[in-house]
Amino acid sequence: MGDFNRVMIDMRIAMIGWEYPPFKSGGLATHCEGLTRSLSDKGVKVYFFMPKTKHTVNSDQPNLVIKEVGETEIFPYDRPEDKALAGNFFEAVHRYNQLVVAKVKAVAKAEGKFDFIHAHDWLTMEAATILKEEMGVPMVLTIHSTEYDRSGGIFPNQWFIDIERKGMEKADRIIAVSHFTKRVIVEKYGINPDIISVIHNAVYPIPEGKKQEIVLFLGRLTIQKGAEFFLKAARKVLDYEPDVCFVVAGAGDMLSRLIDQAVDLGISNRVVFAGRLTEEEVKHIYGISSVYVMPSVSEPFGITALEAISAGTPTIASKTAGVCETFDNCIKVDFWDTDEIASKIISLLRYESLRKTLAENGKQEIELFTWDNVAGKTLDVYNGIDIARLKKQLKEREKIYEWNTKHSKP
Amino acid sequence: MPSVCLYFEVHQPMRLNHFTVFKIGANHDRFSDYFNDKLNQEIFEKVAKKCYLPTNKILLDLINKYDGKFRVSFSLTGTFIEYCERYMPSVLDSFKDLFATGAVDLIEETYFHSLSSLYDDLDEFEKQVQMHRQMIKRIFNYEPKIFRNTETIYDNRIARKIAELGYKGIITEGADKILGWRSPNFIYKPVNANIKVLMRNYNLSDDVGFRFSSRNWPGFPLTADKYANWMSNSFGDVINLFMDYETFGEHQWIETGIFEFLKHLPGEVFKHDNLDFATVSEAVEKYKPVGEIDVPWAISWADEDRNVSTWLGNDMQIACFNELKNIGRKLKEKANERLLKTWRRLQTSDHLYYCSTKGLADGAVHAYFSPYDSPYEGFMNYMNVLQDLKQRVTL
Repeated sequence: MGDFNRVMIDMRIAMIGWEYPPFKSGGLATHCEGLTRSLSDKGVKVYFFMPKTKHTVNSDQPNLVIKEVGETEIFPYDRPEDKALAGNFFEAVHRYNQLVVAKVKAVAKAEGKFDFIHAHDWLTMEAATILKEEMGVPMVLTIHSTEYDRSGGIFPNQWFIDIERKGMEKADRIIAVSHFTKRVIVEKYGINPDIISVIHNAVYPIPEGKKQEIVLFLGRLTIQKGAEFFLKAARKVLDYEPDVCFVVAGAGDMLSRLIDQAVDLGISNRVVFAGRLTEEEVKHIYGISSVYVMPSVSEPFGITALEAISAGTPTIASKTAGVCETFDNCIKVDFWDTDEIASKIISLLRYESLRKTLAENGKQEIELFTWDNVAGKTLDVYNGIDIARLKKQLKEREKIYEWNTKHSKP
Repeated sequence: MPSVCLYFEVHQPMRLNHFTVFKIGANHDRFSDYFNDKLNQEIFEKVAKKCYLPTNKILLDLINKYDGKFRVSFSLTGTFIEYCERYMPSVLDSFKDLFATGAVDLIEETYFHSLSSLYDDLDEFEKQVQMHRQMIKRIFNYEPKIFRNTETIYDNRIARKIAELGYKGIITEGADKILGWRSPNFIYKPVNANIKVLMRNYNLSDDVGFRFSSRNWPGFPLTADKYANWMSNSFGDVINLFMDYETFGEHQWIETGIFEFLKHLPGEVFKHDNLDFATVSEAVEKYKPVGEIDVPWAISWADEDRNVSTWLGNDMQIACFNELKNIGRKLKEKANERLLKTWRRLQTSDHLYYCSTKGLADGAVHAYFSPYDSPYEGFMNYMNVLQDLKQRVTL
């Protein structure tokens, strides 16, 4: 453990992301914020590159610089289904990556070289790969989710998978947010497990509010997050506990279908579709809810579960979620077993002792999940990279590449 | 000359079926629906084959081999006996054979291995002790002289009650917080009652029960001669080795060498002139109390804490315990034998044990024994069943 927080002198990281709080659509942003802040607290100089948005994001940390690049309309969880739209989408992704490459190189030239490139998920893999090769710098890749997760396993899009595979193959080290995700990376993408480290996510605790009889779903309304199962369970709960209020917070392509579903189930008067909430509203709703349900079909980690638990809200989470492999004080279910979910929601609403024990033990366990911890483990990953050997490998690869280009048939 | 007093607790709980809130008050045959007969039979038969039958055989051979000088004591719970009678009478026969040698003593306890000793009044506790007494009388034609409460739960109130009921001795944990500098290897007496107390030597007992196969324990590997040496070098009148009977072949698998250890233990003990074996009744008869113990709050042999926090350590457990007591109060007004029996089966302490949220070392032990994935699952299931019974009782 002596090496735990060993920092390379003047370590400089170029981290490439897609979003950063307070404007976010998922756990990637939360992770980037926690990681960059805690890394900079440890004395690492972090440059965080992200798309320019309507709102300027600023850093109040001396070692953390946020650089906004170009402008884009794409979110990392978008999955275009329409071909014409897809064309624009892929083009925009490519354009952003090109801009990032130029910007990182400019910053490196003006302010000094980087020791590592650290990218998050598929969106920025192209830029990271180019930068790695052009600047001769090791590349670390954090995988928060894969196309297999986002598609809920139904018709995964090969275009994304190819990008992901290419990026993973080029990465010197991969950080997976769970063992679940590590398995996907090894089994579906064929990556050597030895270069993958698992670092579970963390949370900035949220204050507990005055609890009301609210059962909460909070997440993107996509197939991945399983909101439809939440509604089915709600129907069953309301048969027994008619006064409970269900809140569906979030936006996504399933919204209209979910509203229809609530109407069909005859529960639209007990379900509030709150839409996309601001950061303050999110904290408020976590604080006042009595039960949080995360019925994800596929969930690499599930930071929202930690957020709810930190706010003293007992949580029912999908068994296969990454968070469940490391967190004890929550209730674990099969996302498709809506009878069981309903039974557990009712148990939580009826038995105060259960809520109290889960809330107390949950908050206690949450204290172990700090971003400082995540940053420490991430540093271990950086420090574990043998740079001299990697440079040699890179040269070898260049040689092979040259040989391949020379000898490949036109 | 210390007498080695070996005593085994033999118990199997009646595990519950999966019971969602939707089953509460639903129109079905509730009683057959509470208990998971299939799982219970499976576990019982498995443990019988791994532990009860082979260990009983070894003990019988050893008693015969040493002409009755090797002596042991058992406490068999009511639920265990019911399983024997229902699923494998041969297991019960093997206990009868052991008892018939005259080298085996039987210990009293509550029929349901319950926490009734912690209720506000001791009527239900007394009733369950009586039920156990009748069962032992029916099967073994014997009246135990020594009492051991569920998981050795003990306090002054329980000691006084047991003395009043006419028992000669009571067994509990040799807890440091009670004994202080004093050794568990002597007989003590409660401050408030006239009865002898046997104090479990938890170091030597746990060497076998918990640490036997633990490779990072300095005592590993534990051999019979080493263990007999430790005992021979011990000071005192009686060395109380109390453990779960399932230690043999179930908690400690056959591969650990636990059966070989047991087979060689008497021979190694008899190599020491200063050691012999005694049943719990004999130990109580033979030795005089050397001091008094004062236990105002309940102790037990469970977990590091040696108190009742294993069963009543969190709000969920206390809620279930209170619910059990409430149901009991309502049941008193109704003379319904079937409801009463179901209520009593639900009092078995294991149901509360499964709801324990204690972490770290103890947590692993809890997880090993629990049929549930988590204490929260255990609680929801148990509480749902209690709610159903409550509705049934108030109908």
